Amino acid sequence: MADFVAPPSRSRDLDKLLLRTGNLVGSNFEPGAELRDDLQEYARILVVGAGGLGCELLKDLALSGFKNIDVIDMDRIEVTNLNRQFLFRVEDVGKPKAEVAAKRVMERVSGVNIVPHFCRIEDKEIPFYNDFNIIVLGLDSIEARSYINSVACSFLEYDSDDKPREETIKPMVDGGTEGFKGHARVIMPGVTPCFECTIWLFPPQVKFPLCTLAETPRTAAHCIEYAHLIKWDEVHSGKAFDPDDPEHMKWVYDEAIKRAELFGIPGVTYSLTQGVVKNIIPAIASTNAIISAACALETLKIASGCSKTLANYLTYNGVAGLHIKVTEFVKDKDCLVCGPGVLIELDASVTLEKFINLLEDHPKLLLSKASVSHRGKNLYMQAPPVLEEMTRSNLSLPLYELMDKVAKDTIHVTGTTSKDGKKTSCLRKLRVVFKAIDGVTDMDTAGGA
Amino acid sequence: MIRLFKVKEKQRELAENANGKPPIKKQSPGELRLHKDIGELNLPKTCNIAFPNGKDDLMNFEVTIRPDEGYYLGGNFVFTFSVSPIYPHEAPKVKCKTKVYHPNIDLEGNVCLNILREDWKPVLNINTIIYGLFHLFTQPNYEDPLNHEAAAVLRDNPKLFESNVRRAMAGGYVGQSFFTRCM
Amino acid sequence: MAEPKIKYDRQLRIWGEQGQAALEKASICLLNCGPTGSETLKNLVLGGIGSITVIDGSKVVLGDLGNNFMLDESCVGESKAKSVCAFLQELNDAVKAKFIEEYPETLIKTNPSFFSQFTLVVATQLVEDSMVKLDKICREANVILIFARSYGLTGLVRISVKEHTVIESKPDHFLDDLRLNNPWPELRKFAETIDINVQDPVAHKHTPYVVVLLKVAEEWAKSHQGSLPSTREEKREFKELLKSKTIAFDEDNYKEAVEASFKVFSSRGISQDLQQIIDDSQAEVSSSSSNYWVMVAALKDFIASEGCAEAPLDGSIPDMTSSTEHYVNLQKIYQAKAEADFLSIEQRVRNILKKLGREPDSISKATIKSFCRNARKLKVCRYRLIEDEFSNPSITELQKYLTDEDYSVAVGFYILLRAADRFAANYNCFPGEFEGPLDEDISRLKTTAVGVLSDLGCNGLTVTEDLINEMCRFGAAELHAVAAFIGGIASQEVIKLITKQFVPMSGTFIFNGIDHKSQLLSL
Repeated sequence: MADFVAPPSRSRDLDKLLLRTGNLVGSNFEPGAELRDDLQEYARILVVGAGGLGCELLKDLALSGFKNIDVIDMDRIEVTNLNRQFLFRVEDVGKPKAEVAAKRVMERVSGVNIVPHFCRIEDKEIPFYNDFNIIVLGLDSIEARSYINSVACSFLEYDSDDKPREETIKPMVDGGTEGFKGHARVIMPGVTPCFECTIWLFPPQVKFPLCTLAETPRTAAHCIEYAHLIKWDEVHSGKAFDPDDPEHMKWVYDEAIKRAELFGIPGVTYSLTQGVVKNIIPAIASTNAIISAACALETLKIASGCSKTLANYLTYNGVAGLHIKVTEFVKDKDCLVCGPGVLIELDASVTLEKFINLLEDHPKLLLSKASVSHRGKNLYMQAPPVLEEMTRSNLSLPLYELMDKVAKDTIHVTGTTSKDGKKTSCLRKLRVVFKAIDGVTDMDTAGGA
Repeated sequence: MIRLFKVKEKQRELAENANGKPPIKKQSPGELRLHKDIGELNLPKTCNIAFPNGKDDLMNFEVTIRPDEGYYLGGNFVFTFSVSPIYPHEAPKVKCKTKVYHPNIDLEGNVCLNILREDWKPVLNINTIIYGLFHLFTQPNYEDPLNHEAAAVLRDNPKLFESNVRRAMAGGYVGQSFFTRCM
Repeated sequence: MAEPKIKYDRQLRIWGEQGQAALEKASICLLNCGPTGSETLKNLVLGGIGSITVIDGSKVVLGDLGNNFMLDESCVGESKAKSVCAFLQELNDAVKAKFIEEYPETLIKTNPSFFSQFTLVVATQLVEDSMVKLDKICREANVILIFARSYGLTGLVRISVKEHTVIESKPDHFLDDLRLNNPWPELRKFAETIDINVQDPVAHKHTPYVVVLLKVAEEWAKSHQGSLPSTREEKREFKELLKSKTIAFDEDNYKEAVEASFKVFSSRGISQDLQQIIDDSQAEVSSSSSNYWVMVAALKDFIASEGCAEAPLDGSIPDMTSSTEHYVNLQKIYQAKAEADFLSIEQRVRNILKKLGREPDSISKATIKSFCRNARKLKVCRYRLIEDEFSNPSITELQKYLTDEDYSVAVGFYILLRAADRFAANYNCFPGEFEGPLDEDISRLKTTAVGVLSDLGCNGLTVTEDLINEMCRFGAAELHAVAAFIGGIASQEVIKLITKQFVPMSGTFIFNGIDHKSQLLSL
């Protein structure tokens, strides 16, 4: 409930965009005061990350007409954040980022409500994420992006024609920066490629061969990684290396220096040691500002339709001149995370064994020797023998029961299929619907059970 | 999309008092892919796989290798695998749990195998890694050493190397290092 | 590390202590502190810029709170410059923050000499007439100027300075200089000491590819009348010859050699870009030449004589499969040559300075060394006067943009931004600035845009109705997200200009907030 009603003049500039008709706008754009008020009252935005991008995003969204914003971040403020995370001050060091960031923005932008969540993204139940209309990501790790992406895509439902149901699409806006470079993208699960469809966009991390570190070091980084990955374990048997413990870092630095001297290799510094060991990505305020602004603008456009939406991936590079490029990536139609999968209708009585046999004859699958998993539970594994044995007893049970009596759900199968006469292994997503059960369950839900 | 948001928000308010769905476990993309790798494992008789956390945790497992030829014939070598949720974008972390006298495995269990680090590619799989590990036991090489001393002995005095390996596997000292029996 | 250094750690990794020192010495003047200006300064204050002076004559009204984070309820009715300045100061107490409550247009008109005290002026939300005047003032005073403007879903950023020279351009990817196509005697001699056909497999697979390529190239040259592979077929044969030298399937050094074999075939001498710099008329130095051009003159002389048509060696080699010993020795060979080249250039610099009647030691060793290390990456950026661009743009470019689909929206906005200023000069408000039906403003803006185009010599070409409509809808609104984007770009360019690192943008950046197909226009 939005008790606070902003005086019209406060949204002086935004009103031009939200209240007036336009020619180059989204298909569902309905300008008017109601649109502005609805954005304030009904749009719920989750910002994931309260770091360099997150601080900017909170400010940008709060000044772009949104009033209901949540922010989630597990980190506490560090001194090295202060050159760009402008919501934090020296005296905030050690406090949770999400809490301080939310407080600062609310202090300055009256009427906006920001709820902080000081925890890991995995700590929240999945339905928590379904409460938001748009999820905006200001993250620096592939793992976290991949996690949020699979959560957001898990809400997506397809109709019987394999078309995504619009009301189940959870839009994501993702930003990332490194030095003078960055990207901003819009992900409409089921419509535009999801994070997993294009995971190859992220270059793999450079990893030096261990034997190079042990035997033929040539660079300062080799000496540092030797101390970090090999020497540490040798000396501190069992004690885990903690990159945030300055004493541990100093130890690695000293060892790296010794090794560099031994081999006549220049260039080991404390700063480089930290950089290599913690894989520090250089970061500055201006790039974060640019990328976050693009993300916030896209969030506003998705929600309001006040202009076209980015299609679908923007890169910014300010190293040599200024290069902004928009690339329209395409979806992987067989994506395990956002793809529709193959729809299969079954009787509730079908056993797992019969189901596996059915897959062999299914025209879209022709899948033999299938192993089956459902939400992290392995229902049947063809190999290795130890797992086959552990899952064999499931074969005679009805699949419906094995799937916790859910009327429809996604399962994954792997096996071999014949393509152009050649046997290839494959992993497929299936949407299983149990015929007789469907209506019953719908009634249950409608009854609010 | 504000119209949809509005409808949803109203539904949400209505549903506030209704029971939520039971907590759902999410399967990461890494788990899905690993499921495929494991379901297709085709291991030689000399290799065994075990899942200490049961059939529903495939992300952490152990592989035991029992070489049937070469210096390490008769030994039992256990490797722990820990697989990331973004597998295969990232290689699994593999360590040798059994202390072994080996030119390419150090005494802390670090393994020098190119496909575990610099040469990992998403098209590779768990099977490839296990074969790679197996290969290290049938053909230890002194050219890419992690255990410098063992490599030097293998290069300069294969006979001594052989007896050192036997001694280590039987349980005992080689130089300053003690090895527990693994036969 | 002391605390300020820890605080700046993530940016020191980009521009280093020297870049940081340059920022801390700089004094910046901001004209107009709406969201575009405020956001520009915010990014600079966080990074530890030396001092800021905020100039704005307006008082804060309620509408300003909706798009500017640096203002809150308590500021309404107060001086905007004062309020913004106070908040910016909160972000970093190492920065000297000042404000002057005055309209920039007044200062430009009445006190042009005011601007000469600054390193750089960031001029936001200025209309054409003031831009042209300020540009002349700053050009005269040799003060760097950046224009930044947000306007609805469009906007612009434009740098204006006579000349900006860069030594440390720090490109992302730059080909190393190994001289495999033109080895000097010491490098040849070093290669001779290594037997690439060594029997020991460990030694064989740890021979660095630099040595492998030098040796195999020599072998090739012997059987090909002294020449290196040049045709496609010869290059293929050369790679086959490399592969035939391997003794095991997994020799990474040979894989690297095959991949790097193009470095043997590539042509000798300097790049087109560097040629252009040494051919620049500024390289004919006089007593008033900058240190940069004095060093370029020395470089030119070096290339023509001792360097045998090559730039000084930078002395670094990439990591490659190798034994530590070979690698470290190889590194020393390259470094020794780089040092010799440096000494030779240094000598030339000192001589030129003496000849010009300047103190021979007035350019530090460190500067000359950095110049030599980066000689192949030098950059010179020049910017037209705004007035010249406005009254006499490159017609060929303009016509190209107007007919190129990728540019049409951006150039449309460029025209319309100018038309909007002309509109404002005529009607005392921007198109669509006030409430009410837009029809009249649309047709007026259209007429104005046609006028702008015809003044530019583009008769017959026009801007689409859709874009004109959008421009009127924008009504000169300064949206926070757009201002943060434009301000972000402006601050990024300020950093590059002040640190003299990386390469600032050229031309006029036009923001396209509709589909993000923003463009740089060189007019």
